[in-house]
Amino acid sequence: MKWRLFALQFATPLLAILFGVLIASIIVLAIGQNPLDVFGVLIRFGLLRSDSLLSILFKATPLIFAGLAVALSFRAALWNIGVEGQFYIGAFTAAYIGFTLKGLPIFIHLPLTILAAAAGGMAWALIPIVLKLRRGAHEVITTIMMNYIAAALILYLIADVFRDPSQVGTPRVRTPEFPPSARVPSMGPLLELFGLTGPDANKVNWLLPFGLVLCVVFAIVLSRTRFGYEVRAVAFSPLAAEAAGIPNARIQFLMFMLSGAVAGLVGLNDVLGFFGYLDIDFPKGLGFLGISVALLAKNNPLGVILAALLFGFLDRGAQGVQFFARTPKEVIVILQALIILAIVVAYELMTRYVRKQRKREAERPPPAATVAAEAGR
Amino acid sequence: MIVLRGITKRFPGVVANDHIDLEVRRGEIHALVGENGAGKSTLMRILYGLYQPDEGTIEVNGRPVVIDSPRTALALGIGMVHQHFMLIPRFTVAENVILGSEPAGAFGRLQRREAEERVRELCQQYGFALDPAAEVSTLSVGEQQRVEIIKVLYRGAGVLILDEPTAVLVPQEVDELFVNLRRLREQGKTIIFISHMLDEVLEISDRITVLRRGRVVGTVPAAGTTKSQLAEMMVGRPVLLELEHPPVMPGDVRLEARDITVAGRGGKPAVHRVSLAVRAGEIYGIAGVEGNGQTEFVEALVGLRPVISGQILIDGQEVTHATARAVRLLGVANIPEDRHRRGLVLPMAVWENVVLGHHARRQFLNGAFVDRQAVESFADKQVEKFDIRLSSIDVPALALSGGNQQKVIVAREFSFSPKVLIAAQPTRGLDIGATEFVERQLLEARANGMAVLLISANLEEVLSLSDRIGVMYSGELVAEFRRGEATPQELGLYMTGTRRQTAGTGVSPS
Ligand SMILES: Nc1ncnc2c1ncn2[C@@H]1O[C@H](COP(=O)(O)OP(=O)(O)OP(=O)(O)O)[C@@H](O)[C@H]1O
Ligand SMILES: [Mg+2]
Repeated sequence: MKWRLFALQFATPLLAILFGVLIASIIVLAIGQNPLDVFGVLIRFGLLRSDSLLSILFKATPLIFAGLAVALSFRAALWNIGVEGQFYIGAFTAAYIGFTLKGLPIFIHLPLTILAAAAGGMAWALIPIVLKLRRGAHEVITTIMMNYIAAALILYLIADVFRDPSQVGTPRVRTPEFPPSARVPSMGPLLELFGLTGPDANKVNWLLPFGLVLCVVFAIVLSRTRFGYEVRAVAFSPLAAEAAGIPNARIQFLMFMLSGAVAGLVGLNDVLGFFGYLDIDFPKGLGFLGISVALLAKNNPLGVILAALLFGFLDRGAQGVQFFARTPKEVIVILQALIILAIVVAYELMTRYVRKQRKREAERPPPAATVAAEAGR
Repeated sequence: MIVLRGITKRFPGVVANDHIDLEVRRGEIHALVGENGAGKSTLMRILYGLYQPDEGTIEVNGRPVVIDSPRTALALGIGMVHQHFMLIPRFTVAENVILGSEPAGAFGRLQRREAEERVRELCQQYGFALDPAAEVSTLSVGEQQRVEIIKVLYRGAGVLILDEPTAVLVPQEVDELFVNLRRLREQGKTIIFISHMLDEVLEISDRITVLRRGRVVGTVPAAGTTKSQLAEMMVGRPVLLELEHPPVMPGDVRLEARDITVAGRGGKPAVHRVSLAVRAGEIYGIAGVEGNGQTEFVEALVGLRPVISGQILIDGQEVTHATARAVRLLGVANIPEDRHRRGLVLPMAVWENVVLGHHARRQFLNGAFVDRQAVESFADKQVEKFDIRLSSIDVPALALSGGNQQKVIVAREFSFSPKVLIAAQPTRGLDIGATEFVERQLLEARANGMAVLLISANLEEVLSLSDRIGVMYSGELVAEFRRGEATPQELGLYMTGTRRQTAGTGVSPS
């Protein structure tokens, strides 16, 4: 009986995805196309080609950081909607350290650049959390405002202050290029050993394993350590935590700073891992996607990895569908959103069902021996 | 008129109700008593549609019914008065009463006038002293409870379920509640009443049903039953109802408040120039009607509320502006009055809650990691010692019965040999066995040189345990007595502000 529940629990995410597919099929039918075609392309293109696998890994990398950043704040009952802005600033500070410092060896320059990104994200998170803890301003509002400021500031900095002088006169608006010492090495050569080659092989870089390690570390910190214990107490019951002598404000401050630091790393995948400069058209919206990733992962750092991979897959698959199945791009965006939404809903329903089954299991009359022992207590 | 047959409810690892048969007659006050975790609240939640029974049937007025939600229960005329008040402080009494079933006129306009009128009628009909236009934030606890009762009556309930309504009341308020309940009975209402105070149960009820470990032990008429009979039915063995209070030679002053003033709401200080000193081996009781500054006083002592003026000393060391953590580290334990908000992190497991506030002790840590094994074996020990009834220490604290939650807090606060214990309502919600146990622990701790500040609305408890008693009224310490110097009646006069000792006549610690 036990194994059945176990299997059910294991199957939950799969069934949830299936449900998502079902809902999406209805939409596909509604626009007069064959769902089998569309999903066929999605799978064949998105999963079965090795260059697609690489593309998924590349796309998932920043989402891992973004999802983790959001999840960290949510775990402390804080709503960091400002991952987007924090990642802009982090991307810029990284770029600044990247192109201004020259002649350093990579093992000094690169860590400095990454630290600069984290510091940038933290700096941008500092204002909202201080306003919250000191003045009670709600962080949802302040972080959203900070996003706007970051967006404008970064455009100004790239276009007017730090624009690559050699590009003036061309339509390219970007910072100077970084020396190789500030770039994250590609995992391409390593992946090649496993037979994974393709145009995207060189895009996948060492930030991916770094992100995975970060998720594992935070999973352990939050579930096993004293700090994690205090975070839970503060998140669930600030009053009880206060009475227990746990410094509410300090815990919330730390978690928000960690969230901001991780948020600062979101842009590195593109800036340090691929382009080597910060272009005015760098990918945007990753911070908001991070919110969806965190929700799908239920704020679990390990879940963030899976959720980010799923997002990466949907994104990659969508390109194929658009190209091969000739489905309009807008429909694909709707499909993506629907699939995610359906998964969230189905996942919730499934966990409830499993929990109920669990309970039923536990309520089964225990074997006679334990009953006797109970009675004798 | 209500017949429960073979009601069984299981939670993971426990059978909360085990084939319970219960018959409640129309127009009676039926009391439900039993140890902590016996299944009283669970049974009532089933009757009110909050839980579904796993087995068994319910009949109301001879018809079998399925009560799948509180809405259905109300439609059947069954209402429950919540123990944790669910009132909106900024709304008036009438607004709170109609909340959720607002009489709306054309275009959904709220008919405030009619509502107020209707509430006023209800109050008159049942003799409730309550002003429908008063804002709830200005009401005393007893009055708020009346609002909760009116709320249920307003929805047309003929059967009222009250789960430990007296736990939050002071004696005068209990008397008033009982007057109201009798009035309701006269008007044909049926009342199911849960309490751990056997005197109250014997006084108010017509019949009493005793539960033990999820089963019905028996139903007896209140008339002709004695307290000790009832206690024995509950616990399954005779219970000692009197405690010995051997003399203890008090030692050094451990806890001292010098002339402290603590801010309250709206500029007026909640605590005004209170001074007292508690010595090692002494229990100092604070008697007072709830809401007269005791909560704020305690919060100031343990570092949870800023002190405006005056000084607080622990063992001679000034801690007036110290943090809660610093005060705790000096050996001050605190059993907070509000166990759900201050005492426990309800969604966290019992084993985690048993060390809350002590989780950073070296014995529970393994570097930066929580040493789960150490904590769990500690938790197991406490569960054993304090007889906490639970299926597993892994369940969240919110799955425990009210009394067992309280035991978790008591176990924690007694565990780390504190020098000073500040205990607010330590036995609230505990059954007689557990109450006796905790009171015994308090006396033992006193014998071992702990200084205890006991805040209790239960006069009997204060009188039987304390070496000295201070009375708090309106944020001030209006009187102080040595053990045996004051009668309950006298204390009552001070508690209600009818009388006060002039400054300086208090007894200093001997
Ligand atoms: N939601 C729940 N989940 C799991 N177990 C529960 C839940 N609610 C109650 N229990 C368990 O059911 C048993 C009966 O609890 P119940 O609250 O009915 O006791 P009670 O008689 O009201 O006790 P008390 O006097 O302490 O309030 C207890 O062992 C409790 O731990
Ligand atoms: Mg109860």
